[in-house]
Amino acid sequence: MKQERFVAMHGREWDSLQSWLSALERQPQRTMRQEHALDFPQSYRRLCHQLALARGRGYSREVTDRLQRLVQQGHRVLYRPPAPRWHRVAVFLLAGFPRLVRSQWRCMTVAALLFYLPALITLVLMQLRPEFAHTVFSSAQLAQFEKMYDPGNPHIGRSSGTDLQMFGFYVMNNVSIAFRTFASGLFFGIGAIYVLAANGVLIGGVAGHLNAIGYGGPFWRFVVAHSAFELSALVIAGGAGLQLGLTLLMPGRQRRGPAMVAAGCVGAQLALGAFAMLLVAAFIEAYWSSIAALPNEVKFGSGALLWLLVLGWLWRGGRERSNGA
Amino acid sequence: MLDTVREIETPEGISLRLRAAGALPRAQAWMLDALLRLGVFMLAMIPLSLLGVGGNGLAMLLMFGLMWAYSVVCEVWMNGQTVGKRTLGLRVVNADGTPVTWVPSVVRNLLRVVDALPGVYGVGLACTLIDPHARRLGDIIAGTMVVHTSELPAGAQVPTVAAIPPPVVLAADEQAALVEFAERSGQLTLQRQEELANLLMSLTGRRDTAAVSQLIAHANWLLGRA
Repeated sequence: MKQERFVAMHGREWDSLQSWLSALERQPQRTMRQEHALDFPQSYRRLCHQLALARGRGYSREVTDRLQRLVQQGHRVLYRPPAPRWHRVAVFLLAGFPRLVRSQWRCMTVAALLFYLPALITLVLMQLRPEFAHTVFSSAQLAQFEKMYDPGNPHIGRSSGTDLQMFGFYVMNNVSIAFRTFASGLFFGIGAIYVLAANGVLIGGVAGHLNAIGYGGPFWRFVVAHSAFELSALVIAGGAGLQLGLTLLMPGRQRRGPAMVAAGCVGAQLALGAFAMLLVAAFIEAYWSSIAALPNEVKFGSGALLWLLVLGWLWRGGRERSNGA
Repeated sequence: MLDTVREIETPEGISLRLRAAGALPRAQAWMLDALLRLGVFMLAMIPLSLLGVGGNGLAMLLMFGLMWAYSVVCEVWMNGQTVGKRTLGLRVVNADGTPVTWVPSVVRNLLRVVDALPGVYGVGLACTLIDPHARRLGDIIAGTMVVHTSELPAGAQVPTVAAIPPPVVLAADEQAALVEFAERSGQLTLQRQEELANLLMSLTGRRDTAAVSQLIAHANWLLGRA
C-alpha cells in the first residue's frame, strides 16, 4: 500500500486520538469521563499495529514520527500508575511495614546493636567517671542540657519555645537525620554505621551525664514516651541504610544492578515508615513529654505502654492468623 | 541514531524512544526549582513571622516539606515533572517508560543526599557523565531516568513535484534513504545536494541540479503522490 493511501485511510483516527490525548493533558478528570475513553485501549493498540506496519513498509519519517509521538503519549496514559489510595497507606503502616522490618531482621539487629551498645557503654561510663562528660561535650552544651532538664523547669526537655515550634523543629531535625542515615548507607554502609554509633554515644552521654548530676528524674520522665517511636525509627532507618550498603557489597545470587534496585525499593519503604514513626514521636515529644506536672505513674505507665505498643506492632503486625481451631 | 536514545520494547511490540537528558538541562531545572522553593519560603515567612514563635514551628514544617517532599509530590502528581523540569521539558520515567511512581520517586529523591555530596552535586555530575543514559546514582538505584519530553523535530516535508517512478525496484532501506534525502534537501546547501545526488548517477543517469530534482521526483513517487 502506498503511504499516502495509508495516511488517508487512518489519518482521521490518528487526529481524533491526538485531540483526545491533548485534551487529557489539559483537563484529565473531564476527559477521562468521556465516551471516547472507553475506546482508547483498542485504538492505542491499533495505532501500535499501524506504526509497526509503517516501519516495516519503510514509510517516510513524516508518518512514522507522527505515529511514534502518538504512541509515546498513549503509552504514558495506558500504563500510568494507579491513583494513590489512602487505604493502601493504612495497610502499609499496619501490616506491610512491620513485615518489611522483620524480613530485614539481620540488618535491624545489627543496627540496634550499633546504636544501643555505644549508648549503654557511654551511660555506664558516665556513672563511673562523671568527668568523662567533658571529653564528649563542650561546657556550653553541658550547660544547655542542664538547663533543659532542670527539675525546676515547668516545661522539661527544652529551654524555650512553644509546643508548635518544638513540633516543627523535631520533625525537621529528626526526619532529616533519619533520611540522611538511610541515604548515607549507600557508601557500603559506612555512613549509617557512623550515624548510628555517633547518635548512640550522644544520647547515652546526655542520659548518663544528667543521671550522674542528679537530673535523671526529669530526663527519664521526658524521654520515656516518645523514645519508643523515635529510637526505633532511627534504628530502622539505619538498618535500611545498612541493607543498601550490604547489597552493594554482596548482591547475592543476582546481578548488582537489579539487586540494588530491589534494595532501594525496600529501603525507601522502610524510610517512609520511619518517617511516619518520627511524626508520631515528634507529636508526643512536643505535646505530651514536655508536660512536667503529671505524676510519675502516668508518665512511666504511658511510656511503658508505648514501648509495648511499638515492639508489639513491629513483632506481630501483619502476621497471618494462625489457623488453629 | 544518537547514542543517548534508549529503546524500550513495549508489550505491543513497539519500541519507545527515550532521549536521556544530560547534566546541563537538569542542573537548570534544579536551579529553577531551588529559586521557586526559596521564593515560596520567603513569601510564607511574611505572615508566619507575625505569628511569633509558633510561626517558627510552622516555618520549619514548611521548610521540611520544601526540602524533602516537594520533588516527590510534584513528580508523582505531575506526571514525573517538577515545575523546573516542566519548564525545561524534562520528565522522570520508570525504566519501562511509564511515569514515575511513589517508591522509585522516593528512592531517587532520598539518595539525592549522596549525589549532592562533595560540594554541589559532585557525585551526581560524575555519575551522569559516566552512565550511558546520564543517570545519577539515585536514578540508577531507583531504576528511573530523566528524559526530554519533546520529540526530535520531524524532517521537513518533501517538496511536491510531478512523480517519476524509479527505473528499478528499491529495497525498504533504499526507499527510506531516498525519502529522507528529499525531506532534508531543503536544509542542505545546493552544492551538498548535488554532491549527494551525484553518488546515484547509476540510478538517475544525470548530474547536478537535474539529478537532485530527479531524486525528489522519485521520492514523490515513493510517497504515493500522483
